[in-house]
Amino acid sequence: MDVGQYLEIFIDETKEHLQDLNEQLLVLEKEPDNENTINEIFRAAHSLKGMAGTMGYKRMQRLTHDMENVFSEIRNGKMTVQANLIDVLFKGLDALESYLAIIQSTSDEGTEDNEDIINALNEILEAGTGKKSSAPAKEPETKTEETKSEGGASEAKFAALKLSEYEVNTINKAKEVEQNVFGLTVYIQENCILKAARAFLVFKCLEELGEVVKSDPVVQDIEDEKFDFDFSVVLITQAPMDKVKTAVMAVSEIKDVVIDNFVVPTTTTETKEQKKAPQATAKGGAAAATATATTKNAQQAKKPAGKPVVNRSVRVDIEKLDVLMNLVSELIIAKNGLISIGGSEDGKNSNSFNEQIEYLERVTTNLHESVMKVRMMPIESVVNKFPRMIRDLSKKLDKKMELYMTGEDTELDRTVIDEIGDPLMHLLRNAADHGLEKNEDRVAAGKPEVGSVFLDAYQDGNNVVIEVRDDGAGIDTDKVIQKALDKGAITPEQAEVMTEKDAIDLLFKPSFSTAEKITDVSGRGVGLDVVKTKIEKLGGDIECKSVLGEGSNFIIRLPLTLAIIQALMVELGSEKYAIPLGSIQTIEDVPCSDIKYVQTKEVINLRGTVIPLIRLDKVLDVEPREVEPESLTVVIVSKGEKLAGLVVDNLIGQLEIVIKSIGKYINNNKVISGAAILGDGEVALIIDANALV
Amino acid sequence: MSDMTNQAANAATEKQYICVKLANEQYGINIKYVDNIVRMQRITRVPKAQKYFKGVINLRGEIVPVMSLRLKFDLEPDEYTDATRIIIIKLEPQSSVGLIVDAVKEVVNLDEESIDKPTYNEKDSKSQYLAGVGKVGEELISLLNISDVIIEKDKKESANN
Repeated sequence: MDVGQYLEIFIDETKEHLQDLNEQLLVLEKEPDNENTINEIFRAAHSLKGMAGTMGYKRMQRLTHDMENVFSEIRNGKMTVQANLIDVLFKGLDALESYLAIIQSTSDEGTEDNEDIINALNEILEAGTGKKSSAPAKEPETKTEETKSEGGASEAKFAALKLSEYEVNTINKAKEVEQNVFGLTVYIQENCILKAARAFLVFKCLEELGEVVKSDPVVQDIEDEKFDFDFSVVLITQAPMDKVKTAVMAVSEIKDVVIDNFVVPTTTTETKEQKKAPQATAKGGAAAATATATTKNAQQAKKPAGKPVVNRSVRVDIEKLDVLMNLVSELIIAKNGLISIGGSEDGKNSNSFNEQIEYLERVTTNLHESVMKVRMMPIESVVNKFPRMIRDLSKKLDKKMELYMTGEDTELDRTVIDEIGDPLMHLLRNAADHGLEKNEDRVAAGKPEVGSVFLDAYQDGNNVVIEVRDDGAGIDTDKVIQKALDKGAITPEQAEVMTEKDAIDLLFKPSFSTAEKITDVSGRGVGLDVVKTKIEKLGGDIECKSVLGEGSNFIIRLPLTLAIIQALMVELGSEKYAIPLGSIQTIEDVPCSDIKYVQTKEVINLRGTVIPLIRLDKVLDVEPREVEPESLTVVIVSKGEKLAGLVVDNLIGQLEIVIKSIGKYINNNKVISGAAILGDGEVALIIDANALV
Repeated sequence: MSDMTNQAANAATEKQYICVKLANEQYGINIKYVDNIVRMQRITRVPKAQKYFKGVINLRGEIVPVMSLRLKFDLEPDEYTDATRIIIIKLEPQSSVGLIVDAVKEVVNLDEESIDKPTYNEKDSKSQYLAGVGKVGEELISLLNISDVIIEKDKKESANN
């Protein structure tokens, strides 16, 4: 039977069931006797097994079958829920998730049998039903894990690198001029979240030392996270071996580095396609995709794995689609109305023409709104995996903590939802790992023993705000400044005048977070620049508030929708610019005589608030007006609580604009967030008020 | 029959280049990167951009940044004439770049034998943009390494900033 057509549905539903299982297991851990939960878990596991069987995924079916057996016994009251059982079950869920990930990218379940989990489950089952202690069940499992990690480490994979003729030449030349040629295999810790970022940092530090001539997988794949937990490079450098090694190890979350002098293998004439196949089969698992791709189509072999066989899909409420359908039919009616007016060439019809335009406008606005609603998803789909993560962290770090979430139903644009998961996870991990103190320290400081991490999402005007809060130790700004001084990131003079806020901002600087063992200071700083970049890419911003001893709060602000916004069109000289309406507070006419000076900067006093003036023509290098008018048109914009007045030449009016990117090649110092095409085909640039305030 | 196979073999080693004029030099751009060639049109200036980026244009609903090859190569600023063209380069999907050139002349076929490798000179920043020199009869065509022209090397950028 060809089940390919059901693959999408299978993946969607499996994800839902797995999420369900995760949530229910968390409940079960707290309330081991909750019958409803047990029933619920049993049902979900049962459907999973059935679906996996139908699709022909034997390994997945076997694992779920054994899990189901356990639940079945629990349901029948023959055994009780124990802590180690929950652990094994969670491991089982993780294994299922990795099956699913492989299926998603290759439509095959891979070759991992997960015997250890199955054995553990069966042992628990035997022990549990035999009313014996189930303690020994844990042993074999941990053992297999150890052997696994031992087998995985300390392997010098770089020796197997295949080089092109050009690369061999480069290496030989380097050897002639007495440069060192090293082969490195870098292992990243398996619990690392942003491994691509870590790999990037490794590359950055390698490139400071010398030249990377070869990497496997290729750099692009590494950047796209298309690698397991290790990668190999060939480096030409003048630095000695131990210096290279310490430099790489200085990047955090690196497990191990194997380094040795690189010897050029004798057989280097293989074609690219031939090279990839054996490597891929050797790696197995996710890389199996490479092998199949190679045999199928030699040309496609250059783009292996990673590319999912299934397109991403969204489930849309049928009601939303009905609304869309209605609007489209109205659109057709409006069009027909315009045609009939066009046919009756009378001038007296200009009235009904305007009517039709208004009608059309109403329809398009509604259409826009509905399409946006289709694109909106509750943030729940991202955050619902966090309780499980915090539970695991709590066990791993041996700290008691609790995650409190609110506003899971807050809706965000789909593109944002897809991207926001990683940064949030990073912030939560930071909060749990470094923010919260150890249980003893908490008690000593007079705080409740169990630490709290909060994740709050809510809508604020045209923005969605997500706060990640903890009641831990907060950020010790003095230590941060000291560390920055040690690193040479700031000068002592700068340090003198630094406010607490400036110090916290340091944490977001890339040079800072790549620092070695920054975790020892107050913890913060690991990858915060990565988080910041990602959020800014989504058009949002992040700030951090922290009170020493009371905890810290990371506040992420994201635009509600990305593509279409209302904007105020303004004129500067002969150029037109758009300012997003969302950031505009008011528009004021200010007589020149009202301008005051504070520290030689222009400000106005508007109804008791002092607002700095920003001359847009100067910021944007527009030819200034020859004669200064008697009064200025000032657009007051806000970012959070801060206000600023943008001086413009003229106001044109309000317009609904579609935001387009101006491409990544052109620099603009963040003042311009994009461009919009106006009715006459002209391009207007969109001013990012947030960057100016 | 043998002719046909010969031709096929030739086509495999031959590359097509669009030959453009810039001041008194000729440059070749590999045709596989060229998405389109359009006439000069209204360019919207982008403040604070690199000097050689003249701004952005609206190309059938897409925003395309446009750079002046003359400014990039430190030549005299452009004078727009009827012959001035914007060559739309697509290095990767979803991100095009336009290059302003004085004129587009022709499409030339070059096989490997008629391309000389460039001499690499570290001090001459312009030589990094060249992928080779092509010979067509008596004429010489500088073949552009288009990705290096468009993508600014990180190091240089940080030095400028």
